[in-house]
Amino acid sequence: MDAKEVELRNLTYSLVVELGRAPTAAEVAERAASPIDVVVAGWRRLHQQHALVLAAATDELRMANPFSAVPTAYRVRAAARWWYANCAWDAFGICAALHTDGRIETSCPDCGEPLALEVRGGRPDEESLLFHCLVPAVQWWDDIGFT
Amino acid sequence: MNLFRSEEHIARWLGDREPGSTIPVTTLADLATRWWGDRLSSDWQPRTRDENQAILTALDLSSPFWRLP
Repeated sequence: MDAKEVELRNLTYSLVVELGRAPTAAEVAERAASPIDVVVAGWRRLHQQHALVLAAATDELRMANPFSAVPTAYRVRAAARWWYANCAWDAFGICAALHTDGRIETSCPDCGEPLALEVRGGRPDEESLLFHCLVPAVQWWDDIGFT
Repeated sequence: MNLFRSEEHIARWLGDREPGSTIPVTTLADLATRWWGDRLSSDWQPRTRDENQAILTALDLSSPFWRLP
């Protein structure tokens, strides 16, 4: 990843936090004073390097991990906003990335029972829950949406 | 990558599928702090594969399941 790619990646992430949602390519282009096609080309390179994830159909952001650009089963309240996380790992990751406490809301994939936990100082208030990762690490990026 | 109430719920959700890896939510919280804590830093730089693997190993996630490509 070269310096320009890091710069584009960092601008993209800073806009996620500033806007409270994933920025569009047009919004990033405006902020970078750069043509949209240059931003999209840069995003595609970052996607290939797993620095973010684009939606295949639109070339817009699907993930700026740990943030999700689309609604998911993992909602996180942190820094006075609601966010969507890509998974349970990323839900904690949003609090970690923002360096703040938060609240994670989801439901059990088995029974559908709501699950909610507070994160204080990086620690969950409900310590009996379990995290299950189905896909081995070597295959995570084969289909990151499924992972 | 989901949260569950108990092993029983995980087993029922898996059905006939091969289980992956189950860890306590407290370990997940530690993992997230180490993995994502630098993600919004203004001087962020990508980590190497070995640096990522070291984060997993430090939390005793060292089985073949957790071996990065």
